[in-house]
Amino acid sequence: MSEPVQAEAPPAAPRSRRKVLAIGIAFLIILVAVAATAVYYLTLPTPFGGTIKVGFSISLTGQFNVEGKNSLNGIKTVLNWINGHGGVTVQGKVYNFSLDYYDDQSTPGNIGTLYPRIIQNDNATFLLAPYSSGLTTAAAPLADSYDKVMMSHGGSSDVIWTGSTRRNLVEVLSRASIYLKGAVDWLHANHPSDKIAALYAADSFSTFATQAALGYAQSLNMAVVYNQSYPTTATDLSTQLTAAKNAGADDLIGGGHYTDGLLIMNQLKTTWNAPPPKFVSLLVAVTEPAFQSQLAGSANNVTGPSQWETAVTYSPTFAQSAGLSWYGPTPAEFTQLYGSLNNGDVPAYHAAEAGASLLVLANAIQRANSFNTTAVRAQLGSMHIMDFFGEFQIDARGLQVAHSMVLVQWQAGAKKVVLPADIADGSCQYPYSGA
Amino acid sequence: MADFVALFLTDLVLGLLLGCVLAVIAHGLNIIWGVAKVVNVAHGEFIMLGAYGAYFLYLYGGFNPLLSVPIDAAIGLVVGMGFYFGFLYRELRGKESMGLQSELVTLVSTFGLSLVIVNIAQSIWEHPVGILWSPGAAQVGPVPVPFGGLYVAVVSVALIALTDLFLTRTYLGNAIRAYTQDIPATQLMGINPTVVAAVGIGMGFSVTMAGGALLTVWLPTGIDPTKIGILYAPISFVIVVLGGPGKMWGSLVGGLTIGLIINVGQLFLGGSIALATAVAVLTLIPILLFRPEGILR
Amino acid sequence: MRRLSLRTLGPTLLGILAFLGVLAAIAGRMPLVLLTLVINLLIFAALAYSINFITGLTGYVSFGHVLFMAVGGYGLAYGVGTLHWHPVAGVALGALVSLALALGIGAVTLRFRGVYFAIASQVTALAGFYIVLEIQELGGGQGIVLNVGFEPIAWFYTIWVILAIEVGITYWITHGRLGYGIRSIRADEDAAKTVGVHAAALKLVLFAISGLFAGAAGGVYYWQGSGIFPNEAFSLTFSLIMLAMIVIGGMGTLLGPLFGAVAVYLSSQYFLTVLIGFEFVIIGVLVVVIALFLPEGIVGTLRKYVPELRGLIE
Repeated sequence: MSEPVQAEAPPAAPRSRRKVLAIGIAFLIILVAVAATAVYYLTLPTPFGGTIKVGFSISLTGQFNVEGKNSLNGIKTVLNWINGHGGVTVQGKVYNFSLDYYDDQSTPGNIGTLYPRIIQNDNATFLLAPYSSGLTTAAAPLADSYDKVMMSHGGSSDVIWTGSTRRNLVEVLSRASIYLKGAVDWLHANHPSDKIAALYAADSFSTFATQAALGYAQSLNMAVVYNQSYPTTATDLSTQLTAAKNAGADDLIGGGHYTDGLLIMNQLKTTWNAPPPKFVSLLVAVTEPAFQSQLAGSANNVTGPSQWETAVTYSPTFAQSAGLSWYGPTPAEFTQLYGSLNNGDVPAYHAAEAGASLLVLANAIQRANSFNTTAVRAQLGSMHIMDFFGEFQIDARGLQVAHSMVLVQWQAGAKKVVLPADIADGSCQYPYSGA
Repeated sequence: MADFVALFLTDLVLGLLLGCVLAVIAHGLNIIWGVAKVVNVAHGEFIMLGAYGAYFLYLYGGFNPLLSVPIDAAIGLVVGMGFYFGFLYRELRGKESMGLQSELVTLVSTFGLSLVIVNIAQSIWEHPVGILWSPGAAQVGPVPVPFGGLYVAVVSVALIALTDLFLTRTYLGNAIRAYTQDIPATQLMGINPTVVAAVGIGMGFSVTMAGGALLTVWLPTGIDPTKIGILYAPISFVIVVLGGPGKMWGSLVGGLTIGLIINVGQLFLGGSIALATAVAVLTLIPILLFRPEGILR
Repeated sequence: MRRLSLRTLGPTLLGILAFLGVLAAIAGRMPLVLLTLVINLLIFAALAYSINFITGLTGYVSFGHVLFMAVGGYGLAYGVGTLHWHPVAGVALGALVSLALALGIGAVTLRFRGVYFAIASQVTALAGFYIVLEIQELGGGQGIVLNVGFEPIAWFYTIWVILAIEVGITYWITHGRLGYGIRSIRADEDAAKTVGVHAAALKLVLFAISGLFAGAAGGVYYWQGSGIFPNEAFSLTFSLIMLAMIVIGGMGTLLGPLFGAVAVYLSSQYFLTVLIGFEFVIIGVLVVVIALFLPEGIVGTLRKYVPELRGLIE
């Protein structure tokens, strides 16, 4: 034992190093903890508010069953998109949509029982109209009586809005009176001296759309030389087509549905063939793929109006250049999502117009930041947007004024969108040659 | 003027062709009505089944619709006999004629049947029935004569002639005619009324379904099947009454009359098919008022 | 004619009147969904009673009855749309035009027997459709859209009055001396004529009444639909439903049409959510089965085979 003197004083260097180390580690731990908590708290999902119920009747059976089912599939596709893309946010909460629908069997009598059930029993907050002008007419008064917004996707007859004052019925699709306006405008711009013949089915939609087109043509000083309707059960139109030809017509517009469109085309071959009409535009039939496969060559250069085609080029960029805001999937995304939900089927325009009605409604609710009917209806009345279906803007009555019909034309076996020019993928060919 | 003449000739020819089609469609009803004194309200629906038969034979077997005619006829024979044993046997067995109550029952039950058939068809098959076999047309002067229509007209007349021959020249045919006139006498001649009635009605359905097949040739662009019944059933009834129920050639006379009124009538009614058809079907009324046994004596 | 006092009124009539009375009393307080269901039920019942006057009582099958329903609807549409009348006045207009039309048509077609009458009625309905398509004042092929609101209480009381009157007239006809004459027409018209029954006049009156009420019911139906479109209005389906109701219920009975309306209409509502699309198939099968095996309909068959009920239901 040599040095017993320095026993109490702790060695300064080793203790201060441990202290620094200890303080350093403690500081680090606290820093990480605070950061983790901060990150966790800031990335928490917003509170879920619930589901918004949208109610409607749709024709799953009866004469509109094909269009009704397509429309329903379109609505479900858009529902899938909205709910999968964050739903709508109202007052800081996120809401999803749910559908409450019944089959109305294409019968107006069922509208009066189904919609009250949807409104009162099922407590739907918003409504979609049924398919077809007739059924929409029957459903419209309920929207106002029960103060619910109703989106019309399948009833295009202007008279629904002009024959009666509607407060809450909003039209998403183009109105019937402008169905053939694009075709008439094109004729007026390129062949103004052409004489027009109209042969159309005697049902509410075809008659209204064609007669409106004729009125429009006459207001542009184009000559209308033949104007005749036929009952939907007609099986032979040779007399009418021959009379139209004899009246000196150059162009033929009208038609009605698929079978009569085919009938007209088939009988043109034997009655109005040398030369055939220079321009043919028929309602509904032309947009069907089967039109071309059944008529082969004689379908070439036939045009027809459509509310929407998969080939349209509406897009967020286009919206931006037009100064409009965009909402929803692109046409391609809609088509793809529809296909994945429906065994690879391609959506027809019924699906698109119906889906768009739900889409526009969702956007309006979000903009209004409320579920109140008046607030949402006011938004619908003032908004001007673009979506995969086209533009949306309504006038004071609820009629659609910004959406444009597209004109399709079969060219060399493919269906091209030829009008309006800014979303077309082909240009309108003239004349029709019958082969 | 030349235009009008051309149109008139066209309508005349097409009216005659249409008349032959309508005749064969009504002919089946004529036979059933004549044999069993039964008006099959579901007539239109059996025409529809015939049209579908031809359509599916075309789709899956590639059969030219004209070839489907005999096949449909064979199917119709079986269907008709089934119809007899299913529906009418109870009512007609042992009776000497159809009472008013039986008439009511068959009218109502066949209309119920039509509801069933149409709605089953509507739920299974959604698309219009049409076979786009277009053999073209020949231009005879100002008149475009469609070959399809021509074939149908020829086959229709042939079918009517065949049934007429059968009923007058064969033993069974004569037995059927005897049955329609007097059932007890027929039994006294040793003929089994059940067999005779079954064959007669089977023949009626056979022609009906063949008519349906022919309709697909006449209307290559197709027709909504649920509309077939609504349109062709009343027209068939009117044709049979016009020609005289039970008179075979009456179908042709009635058919041609209606076909001409519809087609040529349009010319004089401002091109309105609707009014021409209304006039055509309303001819039933004056015929029933002034010549209820029909045009043919 | 016997003096009618409450004691002599049959239990069936009292039952129906009580049912109607209860409905009227609670109409204002019924939940809306139930009210709209009841309104449509009453419309279909009114249609059933209307065809019962002609087909049920005389056995003349009217396949074309939809014509009167459509004419009633067009009367309403013209009255409200063009003349700007109150809808109830429009319904009255429709009913009266239907009555006139039924008188005109019946004067000709009722001369034809059985099958021929049935076909003639179908033909007149078809012709009516084609003619209306060409009348521009009635909207032609386009149809007419009306500026009317959702007024279930008004619809309810209008159809209630129409139905109550119909039931009353049905009872009066079947219980008065008229009833004997009419039943004899159904059994054997020629024999009836030989004993002095004015068959032609009776049939015409019944047909006219049936047209009147079918038109009235049609007017209310299209008031509810706020518009009428020809391709749907002249649909044969309506005729078929009307016939189905009385075939199933019991032709010519007092309770039959109401029973048939309940059976057909209420079950059709069930089919809107279950077994979609099969409604008419099942109704069709039911009609076939009942026509073949229970030709008196449910009410008639019950009366026939259950003697205890004969005093109660008719």
